[in-house]
Amino acid sequence: MLLSKLREAWICLKAGRVTLPYPFEPHDPPPGFRGKIEVEADLCFGCGGCANVCPAGVIEIQDLGQLTRALTFHWSRCTYCGRCAEVCPEGAITMSSLYETSTDKAEDMVLRLEVFMGPCGRCGRCFPPPGPMDRMMVTGFRDDRVGGRPEAWSAGPLGPAAGTRGSGGGLAAHVAAPRGNGGRP
Amino acid sequence: MNALLGTLSLAVLNVGLALLLSPLVEGVLRKGKAFIHSRQGPPITQPYLDLLKLLGKEDLRTSRDPFYRAAPALSLASVLLLATLVPMGTAPPLGFAGDIVVLIYVAAMSAVFLILVAYGSGSPYAFVGGSREMMILLTVEPVVAVALVVGALKSGSLGTGEILAWNAANGPTLSMVLAGIALLLALQAQAGKLPFDIPEADQEIMGGPLVEQSGPRLALLRWTLWAKQLVFAFLLVELFIPWPRTGWVGIDLLLALGKVMVVLVLVALVDVVNPRLRVEQAMGYYLRVAFSSLAALAFAVIGM
Amino acid sequence: MTKTPKGIHSPWASRGPRLLEKQLGTSLLDCRAIEPDTLWVRVSRKQIRAAVETAVHNMGARFLISAGTDLRERGDGYGIVHLFSLDRDGLFLALECLVPEWEEEVDSITPIVPGADWSERECRDVIGVEPQGHPDPRRLLLPDDWPEGVFPLRRDFDYNERPPAVEGSRPPLKEHPAGTTVIPMGPFFPSLEEPSYWRIFVEGETVVDCDYRGFYNHRGIEKLGDSVLSWDRIPYVAERICGICGFIHSTCYCQAAEKAAGVHPPRRAEYIRTLMLELERIHSHLLWLGIAGHIIGFDTILMQSWRIREPIMWLTEEISGNRKTYGMNVVGGVRRDITPAQMPGIRDAVTKVEEEVLAVKRAIVGDTTLLARTRDVGILSRKSAQDICVVGPPARASGVPIDARLDHPYAAYDDIPPTLCTQGAGDTWARVLVRVDEVVDAVRIIRECLDRIPDGPVLTEMAGEYPDGRIGISVVEAPRGEAVHFVMTGGVNRPYRWRVRAPTFPNLQAMPVMIRGQNLADVPITLGSLDPCFSCTERVEAVDVRTGKVTLYRKAELEAMARRHRP
Repeated sequence: MLLSKLREAWICLKAGRVTLPYPFEPHDPPPGFRGKIEVEADLCFGCGGCANVCPAGVIEIQDLGQLTRALTFHWSRCTYCGRCAEVCPEGAITMSSLYETSTDKAEDMVLRLEVFMGPCGRCGRCFPPPGPMDRMMVTGFRDDRVGGRPEAWSAGPLGPAAGTRGSGGGLAAHVAAPRGNGGRP
Repeated sequence: MNALLGTLSLAVLNVGLALLLSPLVEGVLRKGKAFIHSRQGPPITQPYLDLLKLLGKEDLRTSRDPFYRAAPALSLASVLLLATLVPMGTAPPLGFAGDIVVLIYVAAMSAVFLILVAYGSGSPYAFVGGSREMMILLTVEPVVAVALVVGALKSGSLGTGEILAWNAANGPTLSMVLAGIALLLALQAQAGKLPFDIPEADQEIMGGPLVEQSGPRLALLRWTLWAKQLVFAFLLVELFIPWPRTGWVGIDLLLALGKVMVVLVLVALVDVVNPRLRVEQAMGYYLRVAFSSLAALAFAVIGM
Repeated sequence: MTKTPKGIHSPWASRGPRLLEKQLGTSLLDCRAIEPDTLWVRVSRKQIRAAVETAVHNMGARFLISAGTDLRERGDGYGIVHLFSLDRDGLFLALECLVPEWEEEVDSITPIVPGADWSERECRDVIGVEPQGHPDPRRLLLPDDWPEGVFPLRRDFDYNERPPAVEGSRPPLKEHPAGTTVIPMGPFFPSLEEPSYWRIFVEGETVVDCDYRGFYNHRGIEKLGDSVLSWDRIPYVAERICGICGFIHSTCYCQAAEKAAGVHPPRRAEYIRTLMLELERIHSHLLWLGIAGHIIGFDTILMQSWRIREPIMWLTEEISGNRKTYGMNVVGGVRRDITPAQMPGIRDAVTKVEEEVLAVKRAIVGDTTLLARTRDVGILSRKSAQDICVVGPPARASGVPIDARLDHPYAAYDDIPPTLCTQGAGDTWARVLVRVDEVVDAVRIIRECLDRIPDGPVLTEMAGEYPDGRIGISVVEAPRGEAVHFVMTGGVNRPYRWRVRAPTFPNLQAMPVMIRGQNLADVPITLGSLDPCFSCTERVEAVDVRTGKVTLYRKAELEAMARRHRP
């Protein structure tokens, strides 16, 4: 009885104080940590693969007319699984080590990206088929929803047809990023 | 006139100690507990801040009954009254007005008011907590009584000041040591520490009597508990471990405070290495302690 | 006369159908081996109870779950499947019957298998097939204000449909016995981390009986699985069924989907899964030990066991990129490999944990106050454990020798069999010992995994579509007991039906037996000793639980605020 109490006390005292001084000192996660997503807007060509695989429906896609596709990232839904970063053929999405994401501004939780989808007259770059998106089609990462649904689960009108349009038809893309360099041709 | 002034100033000192020092003592104990838990713990002034915050809140009551409304204040007042009957550094200021018999009654009063609070609040958890408090009170009080009666037998007086003086002069005796141990064991329950914090059991009955209490009422009840543990610790160290005695009130008081801290740290240590017992297990334990402390009484009768 | 299904090694493959036919007196409607370990038998609706009786009494089958499926699109009415496990033979037995669309009734099997109680009530709530002769046919999981006759898991019910709330509805509570007082525990209670509502009927402080109303945490995950998500998105949602043993659920789902699709993950991936599963077992058991300590007021155990647990969390963060939701599983393997550079770190961390856990065990076995609170508390007899189909450590602590890792080996457990940790007493202390022993055994399994892990890829890519009309059944031994996932292909790039049974689902049903005749003070620790996980149990339907006007008002207010701030 007394012996076991002493043993318990010894376990406690041997450990000493173990709590970290966080948040007064930063606490860096290990490499490979899946933190907040970072989007390199210039690399995105609007294939929509990220929206296709996202289990939480973070990425919403809308086609604004013939030439522009808008990708809206609703961070508040993100579960940090990192699937989008994994499937992005251009490496436009990466997982940062940022985990302190709380904010008092709702607009911090949304990122909108407008991608110019027409064939590029300037560089004329195109994708040699089978493109990454075609490969994705056969590995099963796709959304077969017909018509889409009105709520946030909807990833926009993104059937297989839309996907093919992104890679097969869209030869290259320029990006209109939301901040700073927006409006570039 | 002078004597009256002395008594008054001593009474103020005792009450002040019980009121103002008890949150600090609690803060130190919390820090120690956190150390055992391998964590930082709150600053030692946290209990004061808790009290300030609670006292500044809205007073919500679940009953209009005047007794219920006044019970937290009466509970704290009874502990402060107890403080004037307990020697702190020197003979108790109101020792002339009450001996150990009064002391035992006054000691039980704060618990009785807590039970009143429990039954007045109308929550089933508070009912369970109140009945548990009563059961604990019924089994712990005999232990306290027997310990104090041993002191009275040895010193031949019912006054706490006389018991203190006698013990300081005549050194440790077997019966007094045994009675002291019994009182130390009773302190664990009086201070509401594990394994005997059964009436308040957070994880079982959500704080028992305190479940419906908030704001100033909760502050007063908390304060009562902290003051009670300090006053009882003083009672223990002054009556049963009074040595060394210098005769200087200030130095004796500081010495007593040091001993009080040692005793309370011991109590807190027991608190952190024990789970909570069931109420009938606790009652069985205190009945055994009460019967064992009768041995101290027997030794006292035969003069050991 | 039914033909013996091919491909199953167990003697029951031929004996089972023959025995069933003999008992039923007619031939079976269908009998086939859908996997080398799964025998699928279809009987007529009127004979399901007799078939279940034969399976349980003559074949020694242990009930797992019932799954109701809306098959009206295929012209089959409603399919009711009762899944059983023949533990000694490593065989699953599925007894199916089809209920015509216009009947909506089936014979209840709860009188034969008490453990099927909740499964059948759930089936009634979500599919709408009434179990006839059920002893307690109250509503189980739909909220009180959900209208009658609306069944959320039917295929024609949209996932985002919100039927109008029924005004003035009341929870379906049990009458308390005469002469008893009701002590409510919940819906929010300090020692329960999640909402669940227990009403304890007491005489003095002695418990006479109890009533349970739970399922406040429904998130509609099964419905999402067959209406919104796709095959490859589900693992991440499955992982969020539980906040503590999420990897169990994603593994279990992936295994079921792999079985249905006929994909075999690479051996290295199976080893990595085994390793992660055992890491999860260690951290879950240590977490439980802490909470159990906290429930009986022993906060030092809470702090110290969570301190010991913390390096495991750092380890999983390093391996997978997150402390808890690892996101490692995909159908066909895992996403991240374990590098040789990580292996010494894993070995060191688990060795340290093993040392510390053994030190804790040495300290607590002699602690008489701890024993006073746990020994002879919440006794579950072996008989009751088997009747109620309790799984995992609570079953093993009552001497029931079941462990999915041994009975239905998956991942790399055929190479590295776990030790069966059983105790006989069936009380809370026995459950403590079982879990502590399992932590030590998990450390051994992790070491062997690291020693024997083969080289190779970690992912088998799916080629082509999921074949139609396939069924995958998978079990995984979670720290709390055995989790079961049932997947039926045929949806549009998603399961036609995905059924999940978390281990707490059967285990919670043992509560009334365990607390009867006990002191009220022992109720929280008895419940805690089951390691209940309400989120796990309550994954089924997306609903708002509206408990009162205040909540409603606040919710509306919050929504208004959210809308105001939306850009």
